[in-house]
Amino acid sequence: MGLLALGTALEWPEAKKKADQVRQWGIEQLLANWRRAKGKERDALLWGDEVEYLVVALDDEAKKARLSLAQAEILKSLARDEALWTAGSGGDGERGEHEGEKPPHFHPEFGRFMLEATPGEPWGIGFKDLLKVESNMKWRREVAKAHMAPNESPITLTTFPRLGTKDDYIQPYYPPSGPALRSQFVPDEIANPHIRFPTLAANIRSRRGRKVELNVPVFKDQNTPSPFKDPTVNYDLHQWPEDADVRNGAAKDDHVYMDAMAFGMGSCCLQITFQAKNMTEGRKLYDQLSPLGPILLALTAATPIYKGFLVDTDVRWNQIGAAVDDRTPEELGEAPLKNDRWRIPKSRYASNSTYISQDPRLRKEYLDPDLVVDEDIKNRLIEGGMDDMLATHFAHLFIRDPLVIFSEDLEELDLHKGDHFENLQSTNWQHMRFKPPPSEKDDIGWRVEFRSMEIQITDFENAAFSIFIVLITRAILSFDLNFYLPIPRTTENMETAHARNAVLDSKFYFRKDPFGRRAPRHAAQHSSHGSTFSSTTSSAVNTPPPSPPLGPVETEYELMTIAEIVNGCPDGFPGLIPLVESYLNSVNVDVETRCFLASYLDLIRKRADGTLWTGAKWIREFVAKHPSYKHDSVVSEEITYDLVKAVEEVTAKEGKHGSIGWELLRGKKN
Amino acid sequence: MKLILSTSNIMNGGRPSVIRQPLTQKSNVELITSLRSNFVASQAIDTEVPNGTNGGANGTHTEKCRDYSTWTEDRDSALYIPAVDFSQPGLSEERDQYDITVKLFYLPGIPASRRCAHTREAIDLVLKELHVKSIDLLIVSFPGILFDADDDSDDEGSESSGEDDFDSMVQTWHVLESLHEQGMIAQLGVAEFGSERLARFLPHTTVKPSVDQINLKDCCVVPKSLILYAKEEKIQLLTHNDCNDILPVGTTRELLGPADKGGAGILASAPDANDGIQGHIETQWVVKYTAVVKDRGVVENKGYFALADVGTCVKARS
Repeated sequence: MGLLALGTALEWPEAKKKADQVRQWGIEQLLANWRRAKGKERDALLWGDEVEYLVVALDDEAKKARLSLAQAEILKSLARDEALWTAGSGGDGERGEHEGEKPPHFHPEFGRFMLEATPGEPWGIGFKDLLKVESNMKWRREVAKAHMAPNESPITLTTFPRLGTKDDYIQPYYPPSGPALRSQFVPDEIANPHIRFPTLAANIRSRRGRKVELNVPVFKDQNTPSPFKDPTVNYDLHQWPEDADVRNGAAKDDHVYMDAMAFGMGSCCLQITFQAKNMTEGRKLYDQLSPLGPILLALTAATPIYKGFLVDTDVRWNQIGAAVDDRTPEELGEAPLKNDRWRIPKSRYASNSTYISQDPRLRKEYLDPDLVVDEDIKNRLIEGGMDDMLATHFAHLFIRDPLVIFSEDLEELDLHKGDHFENLQSTNWQHMRFKPPPSEKDDIGWRVEFRSMEIQITDFENAAFSIFIVLITRAILSFDLNFYLPIPRTTENMETAHARNAVLDSKFYFRKDPFGRRAPRHAAQHSSHGSTFSSTTSSAVNTPPPSPPLGPVETEYELMTIAEIVNGCPDGFPGLIPLVESYLNSVNVDVETRCFLASYLDLIRKRADGTLWTGAKWIREFVAKHPSYKHDSVVSEEITYDLVKAVEEVTAKEGKHGSIGWELLRGKKN
Repeated sequence: MKLILSTSNIMNGGRPSVIRQPLTQKSNVELITSLRSNFVASQAIDTEVPNGTNGGANGTHTEKCRDYSTWTEDRDSALYIPAVDFSQPGLSEERDQYDITVKLFYLPGIPASRRCAHTREAIDLVLKELHVKSIDLLIVSFPGILFDADDDSDDEGSESSGEDDFDSMVQTWHVLESLHEQGMIAQLGVAEFGSERLARFLPHTTVKPSVDQINLKDCCVVPKSLILYAKEEKIQLLTHNDCNDILPVGTTRELLGPADKGGAGILASAPDANDGIQGHIETQWVVKYTAVVKDRGVVENKGYFALADVGTCVKARS
């Protein structure tokens, strides 16, 4: 999350009236910034990871694990220390092996039980830097922990298993049903109290005309009732108009029902941002990484429990999508279009819908046929000099309404700022994000963010996946790889990734051959310098051979398992890991680093082939084997407490020497 | 006659063969497949075009045996396979944006006395190909040295084991030092040296190796003694995935042999056949070059040259 400005946030009816103005100003800011920054060149590869934590408080006596709402106090205390560190006077002690590293940054997140941590400064591609990532992540966790109460700790589960249950799962306790969220399961106090967050949640709800609606299919165990009717739903509440949602069928049979933004935006993710050398490279990376989003989502699957029930999906993605889905019934296609401008196929939080690279390999057949674009905005961008492709991208993002508007910001348009642009850009939560350089800063370039991965229980895993993605980008650029896939296939893959155990049991569309045709360099050199060759041939050498016509798009890709995509298959796709290794064999890497990298790549290779479990599978097994589990899909307070304890142990011991979690990390008990 | 085999830039635009068999993918596979595909691609450019203008189907047999002249180039008493156009720009950005690493493989059975000439020859080709005046790191690989992580005793087998003898390594090193002196090479490195060998080698050097390259399979089991010694001597231990015998003579013959056997049709099909160059073939050296954009870690250009003597040119071994 970016910086949090203060001001008077408009409620939805008012905000709605200002939406056009914010969009227009945002587009002008984008254009001004694009003109300024489009020629930026030769920026280094810098990258950063974002790790998100749940803050849990353990009550060992009552055997209860609760979410702690102490975010503000923790952040305050962290900020004090960071200031001290920066001032050079030390803070609370040991820097140890991190001497010389800048102290990590901590940021608020939507959930008041969450923390986000980033490295003190971005990483480079120096291979020594890659070695620091894991230890820096561990350091972040230690620093965060040091600023919490003794019974509190940061854990990296994607979601808290009993968020939204009837018990006192938060500390301090607040009853549900507040004016902003109007949720029957969670209180308004669950969200960060900064005005931005309750406003965001309230305006999504208002715009939508009802509460958000999350229905996750329940995992049907042997004793789970069928049909399953979510027993935690109260049909008899009458405090807010939205309490009628459930009486109007919002909660579906055989599903776990949730009704607030906190159930989605309260999930922890692992996100990686790269700086590209220039806009062209950024656009290329945006396109090429896009088909990898669902693959990495399935590989990092870690979300099998919602609101105290095992569910039949393994990942968080669609729940977040539903949790911030502000589309009206008209936009959803449930009512005829009358007041709204168009039907919109996807939530603001969804897989991405555009390709933006001016790449000759990008065939128009790859584009999303259902793309919705604001033509006026697109025309304005083109008139302002932007190319069609990029203009389409932003004109697509700008079909949305701005959700949080501060009245103070509407007094004067400042073209040197990017606030109105960011208002829309940063509330389009697609699985890839293309980020222009910040208007106010000259030393930052064009960036691309990879957003689909789930947070992992250990920092070893989080480092492994972060570094894997970095190495993939280097392989993409070095080998000029081509992963283009029609966007609707990526959208489908994103759905596929949700299935229980998709990592082993599902197949994903993926491009068969990531290599282009032979470089034209040789042809060019031959034709233009034909005369230098001893020639029994004629001058006809000057005509380059015609390139054979492209086959149908459908022949370019096929359904593959994650193992085939990651590890390759004989005579087929070479595999992401072999591609990365091939890259590493072409650069100078010292033995220590290579050995570390080998252990990271090994984790991913083995996740893909099933030797190692995903977090989702491990959590399922933990619940299934728990002595108090009744095989009725219910994850009780007791199981949750033990699970959180186990997660802490896995984080600390990483499954070494047969300790708990070895199935996730080692694959064998010794 | 000298044959100069080249791959051109193997990073560039689709050489699927490079990564086709990743598990067996040692540098020799990379080298051989990329040479082969470079030959095929260069031939394709020429065979597709003349159709119809030059009689096409009427191409006679005598023509056919000289076929390779269309895509190779005879220059300065060397046959470039395929022809290399050195006027093409090698790198897209300024020189100081790159780290250029070159690894020179001296091959088994080739007299060490030729290495002075070979080194110059190889480096010159790389400099010409990349359009640069110097390289950042030259790693030399002496034939027959095997790094063994389990055994760091470095039992110096004498000449009988086929391993390079120590004196000739030192002599070769002096050649490299002079190139370093001339500013052509910024840093020098060796490959597969254990700590004992390094300790024996260093006193004979003026310019110390800054790099010792170890086979990848051993990267997690490098002996502590070597790690400590390298640290003390400020020698960086790097990994590689190169094959010990990167281009055996038989392979070169296959690569260049008759087309009906999958070769490039350069060498005669039989000792007395006149469908190609006759005589013995002897591979002299192989050089691999890599240009990496420093602060982005992007491999922009990577390729190989190999040089073989053929026919009457095969020198008597001294």
